[in-house]
Amino acid sequence: MSACASCMRRSWLLAELSGPLECCARDRARLLELLRLSDAELVKAVGGRRSAELRARYGAFEAGELPREDGVEAICRHRRGYPDGLRSASAPPMLNVAGTAKRLASLATAPVVAIVGSASASDYGMETARGLARGLAASGVTVAASLTDGITVAAHMGALEAGGASIAVMGGGLGGSCPARRRALYARVTRCGCAVCELPLDHGGRRWGQLASERIVVALARLVVVVEADESPADLFGARIALALGRSLAAVPGRVSSPLSCGTHALLMEGASLVRGPQDVLELLHLPGTPARDRTAPAPARAAIGGCGGLEPRLKGTLERVGSGCDTPDKLTHAGAEPSDVLLALSELELMGLLARGDGGRYVPRHPLPS
Amino acid sequence: MLARAHAFTIEDLHTRHVTVEVDVRAGLPAFAIVGLADATVREARERIQAAILNSGFDFPARRITANLAPGDVRKVGPGLDLALACALLAASGQLPREALERMALYGELGLDGSVRAVRGTLAVAQAARRAGMSGLALAGGHAREATLIDGLRVAVVEHLRSAVRVLSGGPPDALPERRHAEAEERRTHVARQLDQRDLAPGAPEPDLSDVRGQRHAVRAIVIAAAGAHNLLLSGPPGTGKTMLAQRLPSILPPMSTAEAIEVTRIHSLTGARVEQLVARRPFRAPHHSITAAGLVGGASRGWVGEVVLANHGVLFLDELSEFSRSTLEALRQPLEDGRVAIARARHSALYPARFMLVAATNPCPCGYAGDGERCSCSEADMARHRRRLSGPLLDRIDLLASLGRERERDTRASAPICSEQARERVAGARERQVARLSDEGVTVNAQMDARMLRAHVKLEERGERMLAAACRQGLLSARGEHRVLRVAQTIADLNGSERVRAHDVGAALAMRPDVSLARSRAA
Repeated sequence: MSACASCMRRSWLLAELSGPLECCARDRARLLELLRLSDAELVKAVGGRRSAELRARYGAFEAGELPREDGVEAICRHRRGYPDGLRSASAPPMLNVAGTAKRLASLATAPVVAIVGSASASDYGMETARGLARGLAASGVTVAASLTDGITVAAHMGALEAGGASIAVMGGGLGGSCPARRRALYARVTRCGCAVCELPLDHGGRRWGQLASERIVVALARLVVVVEADESPADLFGARIALALGRSLAAVPGRVSSPLSCGTHALLMEGASLVRGPQDVLELLHLPGTPARDRTAPAPARAAIGGCGGLEPRLKGTLERVGSGCDTPDKLTHAGAEPSDVLLALSELELMGLLARGDGGRYVPRHPLPS
Repeated sequence: MLARAHAFTIEDLHTRHVTVEVDVRAGLPAFAIVGLADATVREARERIQAAILNSGFDFPARRITANLAPGDVRKVGPGLDLALACALLAASGQLPREALERMALYGELGLDGSVRAVRGTLAVAQAARRAGMSGLALAGGHAREATLIDGLRVAVVEHLRSAVRVLSGGPPDALPERRHAEAEERRTHVARQLDQRDLAPGAPEPDLSDVRGQRHAVRAIVIAAAGAHNLLLSGPPGTGKTMLAQRLPSILPPMSTAEAIEVTRIHSLTGARVEQLVARRPFRAPHHSITAAGLVGGASRGWVGEVVLANHGVLFLDELSEFSRSTLEALRQPLEDGRVAIARARHSALYPARFMLVAATNPCPCGYAGDGERCSCSEADMARHRRRLSGPLLDRIDLLASLGRERERDTRASAPICSEQARERVAGARERQVARLSDEGVTVNAQMDARMLRAHVKLEERGERMLAAACRQGLLSARGEHRVLRVAQTIADLNGSERVRAHDVGAALAMRPDVSLARSRAA
């Protein structure tokens, strides 16, 4: 599998126009519009003084000009196996794929769920995204997300924990644009999943590329789940693209008082589906084998507790109290328990994988691994 | 004619016996001091000449040679003035020579003949006793320090004339009143830094009951005190990390006499004025701009670092992540061995430095991670913060106490624990540890190594299962397991139980330090 020269030329052109596009990226809507333009229109729109030069080089372009790397394949929309979601005008015509193109094809044919959200998420958001991805990956759903900070990282971690595969969409040229602190995660993702990018491999990655990658994430997916986003355009960008592309949108609620979740709450008000756990997502995907929505079914949080059959009442009580906001040893003690009992219960629950340590000495409930 | 006197010089934290020999013979008038004397000692020539003449004695206009033996020890400081002057007087026949045999002399001379106090008096008195001296003559300023040593006659001499009188069998001057508020005090830079509360026994001590709420952290600090565990306090600004740490000395068991003398000696050598044995354990809280040399010492000869001043006490590092990496690295040896070996181009020294490390840090650079939703740090900020904290230092910390913001209602609901109660529990736990570990050559749980842990920690089965599960799940490394075991043993000691119960293991697990304090799950 390889890409045809005309599609690769688009990738080259975008890299050449990286500077002007970076200026345009201040206005996200305009950036999306620009990316939808044809090559000639794009040069006309942002080429400026370099238009003539670019046109000349565009005419003389040869596919060999673009750098290659071992283990990275290029694939374009004119080849079989190109993800169906990327056949619209706004999506890139070609992708560089680390992990094989074949694997990308098989991952993209499974139902894909995009997980988007804030780059500076709270521990609640991180744990939720992680649990969600873990549950989805275990159920055979492909998780797609960019690989920056916050929620997206938690999503990939979760998918990996369940032994599942995820698709990471990079904002620059694959590994080269990956920040050092994400190298290890990038390597793990490409080992069993894929990393893709639309820019040439030697592109260092800029902000506009990061934004543009968001549209690929959303385009790949059938359903977009927003986990923790505030009302800033940056956090809600994924949701806006989903609406524009007509993808179904779901959101995970947080505490109503939490400013970090007010974006997701606004989406829920606007009609996004409410997601409490992986089960809700599977139902939204109408996956065969999942029961139709049953209003009387227990909420996932309770199901999780009940699901860990035979949990002692004291542990169950502690877990419930942590879930309802008494999440530090001090708060639990004030709620009337012996300090040593509290610490024992917290440690036991952590060992069972039902609690994780959060920021500042708090404990966060975890979704147990689906058995 | 030849005369001999005994004096002492200070070498780092030790004192060396110096025999001062003065020979007066016919020849061109000259005064030479030989025997590896540094500038302060060589300057003594001028002081001594002026002091002798101004005191009404005769300065022989002959060839005077003073030798400081042993010749290979570097002599520093003005403490040899008095011995030199008296030996000279004896050599010129103005003083009986045999009087100098049993009486050590230690003091600096003024041009008028007055005797001034010199730092390190306590150490000198100790050394004089060891050298078999029956008495020590010194200035009144630091004389009370010397009286702390039993079996040594302390003769106060405020003037060269008094010294001659004492050596001729007369009475000494009166011991000065205890600490009067005189402004004149010759103190070194370090002495000025020394925490006054350590030296003034009358000042009220901060009490643990001043802390409202934060029961979890208070528990942790009691456990840390009981097992001498190093402790990390983590929490948003203003939750009382510093306040808690300052109250740690108040719940530590009192120092033994040997420890107290060692601490007092170090204080005395750094120039502080000591009137009685330091009763309180030292509490040192250096600012985070401190350099490695400031922390462990060795900037110049005889300069001791904060870790040495914190010996037998508490070293508190506030804002741990702000300390420079090299400074924190320098703490590794003292934390491991309880001493610092300083090697510089021209000297090397070994200092005692057995202290409890208490560190405080914010959970993230802005300080508010996990506190409501106010944290404004990016992932990169967090990674940087974690990198600064992680590493060898955190490996030596057994306990992590997280402090959270508390509601007014909660803080008022809980009855505070006072230092006295806590101190009793700590003392009980320490006794149990000493009884158990007496054969091992260590006294506290924090010093137990892997072999001692295997030999002495009796785990209940359920606790054992929990530990095994934690290791299996990757929550604990092998070293982490040892730390949890040590802390669990201390908790059991605090509760007075023979075996380590699951409750103790649970609490130790809940207080285990994480290299990453916040948002660890992401990286």
